[in-house]
Amino acid sequence: MSDEEKKRAQSYLEKLKQTALQQQHYGGEIKQTPASMDARDCPNCGAGRAFRHGLTSCAYCGFVFMDTTLTDGIYIKKENNSK
Amino acid sequence: MFGFGRKYDNPALIAEINETQQRWFAFLDKLEARVGEMCAAAIPELKTVFAQDKDPYKRAHGHLLSGLQGQLSLIRTKANDAREEKINGLIYAAEGVIPPITSAEGSKYHQLLHTFRMACFNRHHIFEEKLHVAMEKLQAAAGERDLETAYREQLEAFEAIKDKFNCQQCGGNITIPKMFFIATYVSCPFCQTQNTFLPSTGAQMVLHDARALAEQRTAHLRQLAERTQPRNPDLHRQYYRAMINEWNKIVPDMAGENEKFYERLLKDIGHY
Repeated sequence: MSDEEKKRAQSYLEKLKQTALQQQHYGGEIKQTPASMDARDCPNCGAGRAFRHGLTSCAYCGFVFMDTTLTDGIYIKKENNSK
Repeated sequence: MFGFGRKYDNPALIAEINETQQRWFAFLDKLEARVGEMCAAAIPELKTVFAQDKDPYKRAHGHLLSGLQGQLSLIRTKANDAREEKINGLIYAAEGVIPPITSAEGSKYHQLLHTFRMACFNRHHIFEEKLHVAMEKLQAAAGERDLETAYREQLEAFEAIKDKFNCQQCGGNITIPKMFFIATYVSCPFCQTQNTFLPSTGAQMVLHDARALAEQRTAHLRQLAERTQPRNPDLHRQYYRAMINEWNKIVPDMAGENEKFYERLLKDIGHY
């Protein structure tokens, strides 16, 4: 391969590298966030969300947090639907 | 009237066959040189970009690798097009003008064409093998991520923070009972409030990288299974079982899902 062709390969590679480095990632950059703890209070009575016959409604006043019926997942189970 | 008894002689065709073969060999030599040159230049760049890429998914490296693989695919397409047009084209055209293979002259020319076809196709096969090796070199250039260290760091990080959370309702101290990789409810032992624990980005990445880490740990078994000829399904089963066991050790909560995946892998072995 001649010097000119070598140069062409090198310059192509350089362009490709720049494009790869500058390309926007789908979904944006990954932000590193530390572990955190959060809780949802009942908007009706202000009580903390406690487990009593399920999690989908307030253990104290019966306020419905969500209408969705939960199915079995890794940590959320069907038993978490309030009765 | 029909040319019976006239000897068939076509020196122009012989010259064209020889010339086409030489040009085909020279063309593939050039393409191979270009592939070699590109790989030689690209491998250090791939290593550098991989090392400098802060993205946990190494997407910049992925973009660069895809671009290079695209270039190699383009070179492969060029060779395929040239083979179709120049080699196959000449063979088809020649077969139309030379006498039938049953005649003495026809037999000679068909033999010539056969030799030409085999020489050109064999050369193309060598080119394809070299291209395949180049593709593999590019893929392996950056090496593997050190997932074991990243995993150990996350285990240590979890041990350091697991007692440092408070209930958002009553302020009572909460100990995270085990390492979680996705958001989960954790009950406050004092007021029973269900707090939502969201693991750090690093801990969430453990779940994402768990299979790759399990594969790294059992790489020796995979290599043994892949290199053994003839193919031995028992070695593949042994590898899959060991890999899934490691995977379950890293993310025990996913064991149920992993076992389903294992069943599918076993079915796939049966399909070969």
